[in-house]
Amino acid sequence: MNLKETRTGAQALVDSLAKAGVEVLFGYPGGQALDIFNCLPDAKFRFVLGRHEQGCVHMADGYARATGKPGVCLVTSGPGATNTVTGLATANIDSVPLIVITGQVPMALIGTDAFQEADTTGVTRAVSKHNFLVQSADEIPEIVAQAFYIATHGKPGPVVIDIPKNCQQALTAAQYPERVSLRAYHPESSATTAQINRLAKMINAAERPVIYAGGGVVTSGAAKDVASLAHKAQIPVATTLMGLGGFDEHDPLSLRMAGMHGTPAANWAMNEADLIVALGVRFSDRVTGKISQYAPEARIAHVDCDPASIGKNVPVELGIVADVKDVLTTVGSRVKAAKHEKWLAKIDGWKKSHPVTWQAIHPNVIMPQAVMEAVDKATEGRAVVVTDVGQHQMWAAQHFRYSIPRHFLTSGGMGTMGFGIPAAIGAAFGRPDHKTVAICGDGGAQMTFEELVVAVEHKLPVTFVVINNGCLGMVRQWQELFYGKNYSGSILTVKGRPKNEHLDQDLDYDYLPDFVKMAEAHGAEAYRVIDPAKLDSTIRKAVRSNKTTLVEVIVEPRANVYPMIPAGRPVSAMVFK
Amino acid sequence: MQKEQLHRLNCYVENKPGVLARIVGLISGRGYNIQTLNVGPTEDGTVSRMKIDILGTGKVVEQIILQLRNQVNVIEVTSRRK
Repeated sequence: MNLKETRTGAQALVDSLAKAGVEVLFGYPGGQALDIFNCLPDAKFRFVLGRHEQGCVHMADGYARATGKPGVCLVTSGPGATNTVTGLATANIDSVPLIVITGQVPMALIGTDAFQEADTTGVTRAVSKHNFLVQSADEIPEIVAQAFYIATHGKPGPVVIDIPKNCQQALTAAQYPERVSLRAYHPESSATTAQINRLAKMINAAERPVIYAGGGVVTSGAAKDVASLAHKAQIPVATTLMGLGGFDEHDPLSLRMAGMHGTPAANWAMNEADLIVALGVRFSDRVTGKISQYAPEARIAHVDCDPASIGKNVPVELGIVADVKDVLTTVGSRVKAAKHEKWLAKIDGWKKSHPVTWQAIHPNVIMPQAVMEAVDKATEGRAVVVTDVGQHQMWAAQHFRYSIPRHFLTSGGMGTMGFGIPAAIGAAFGRPDHKTVAICGDGGAQMTFEELVVAVEHKLPVTFVVINNGCLGMVRQWQELFYGKNYSGSILTVKGRPKNEHLDQDLDYDYLPDFVKMAEAHGAEAYRVIDPAKLDSTIRKAVRSNKTTLVEVIVEPRANVYPMIPAGRPVSAMVFK
Repeated sequence: MQKEQLHRLNCYVENKPGVLARIVGLISGRGYNIQTLNVGPTEDGTVSRMKIDILGTGKVVEQIILQLRNQVNVIEVTSRRK
């Protein structure tokens, strides 16, 4: 062994991360990760200290969604590692590339119930794409290279590397490999000529085609290719929640979002289509509704990089396991120009007769939808919009007009409350060229509010908009519609809580907490808006500030998200108000 | 509805710690009970063979096979009805 080239496992890890191209590492220290933290001040990348491990993973996730590069996160063993589980599951179901490095107790102590010991690979197995338990310092560079390969190839996802402390301390001469070779994992797959010809034939034969574009379009960088196919053959495009930004919503061919809270035009078009070209989607139950009645008249062609996604929920006539962009670039020349005038005229009729719109319930109370329009206007549609989960997430999907991929970041599959604040911070690190706006509810904002200081510390000009309706709005909406208005556990204000919660009705405060004071305590500039007349000007002031800002908007608590197709029901069950 | 039948899965996997747990977890996490599980070495010491018998409809077993093939340490999966 050449002693000059030996270094500790911890140093080998940090060097390997730099070789892998890491620019920002999000993390939180602890006993079993200290050897790694000891190397960080000299690292070639930036370290960002979160305030909770869940926040750290969501930051790495937001960074990855905003940039397309893998997000990286470092935490300690035991509770540090178990706190990453929600973040891992969130990234896993939305196919976000992450590397999560966890410290572990020394190998000699594994299995002894040592202090801060948890079976991290056991716990994270079901919520990650893959995980590694390092057994020797010599393995570290190779495992880091493999982890980056696995996270970014095939269907992307999070990879966990669990490193016992003795491996961090041991010396190694192992170098970062120039090439990664995995014996069993070869996810690259491309379409056959016969498949491409069949797809072109199906498109050319269709009279009522719809392109149904999902997160895979954004991931594979195929937005331009979707647009050229749509324009050439005049095919209307519906996107999933994850696909927002994958097709310009100002385009006349855009049907906007499909699904439970999608536009009537998108859902009716899928329902009457004779062909659905599904690109990078997984036919989520939130889109299909009652599966046996989904798209009853359509032939379905499905392109996805994941063989297990094809035919999983909906039987398809043509399944192609390949990268969406590759397929579109080859199929493009074989597709004939078309007009589909009758079909598009019918769709235009739906768009005009049933736009996604809203009406004020009380003239002096701000409607949450108006907040979305105000933010869209103030940022000229250019902001990276990051949401939390709930009603505001759906309003953000409906009332912004998205035109740029990676400009709408949301926890789609897992529906993780608390995602918004940290993910917006991660996005702002990745995209300093764009304004980042987080749209949160008062419920989710309280779950990860502690991360706000990170934005302040790093002087990130993120604007956090808290849509405060004093309740867990989506839960309250379901209770109103499906549970006989029994608002159990969903009211955050004092008024209107069920009796068994035994609240002091004489409490001076109604809305708690005071988000403006909370934000100010964290060092941010903060505003509260109650008057509809002051909404636009306050939002404008906040998004134009070069400081971290928070706007608490007190909104109409009775507002519901419409249109809505109740879960498990067909398109015909759509309700409008 | 498709009928449930006994299927034999033959998996060739990398002989590494955690692989068995990953495969068993993938099946049990979907609520399917493994009837028989047999793991042994092959002539190549770095490869193990798993014989797994599960009861399920053709569609469910097909989905399990596709998910198994997506696993980083799984080399090959074949199946037949028993």
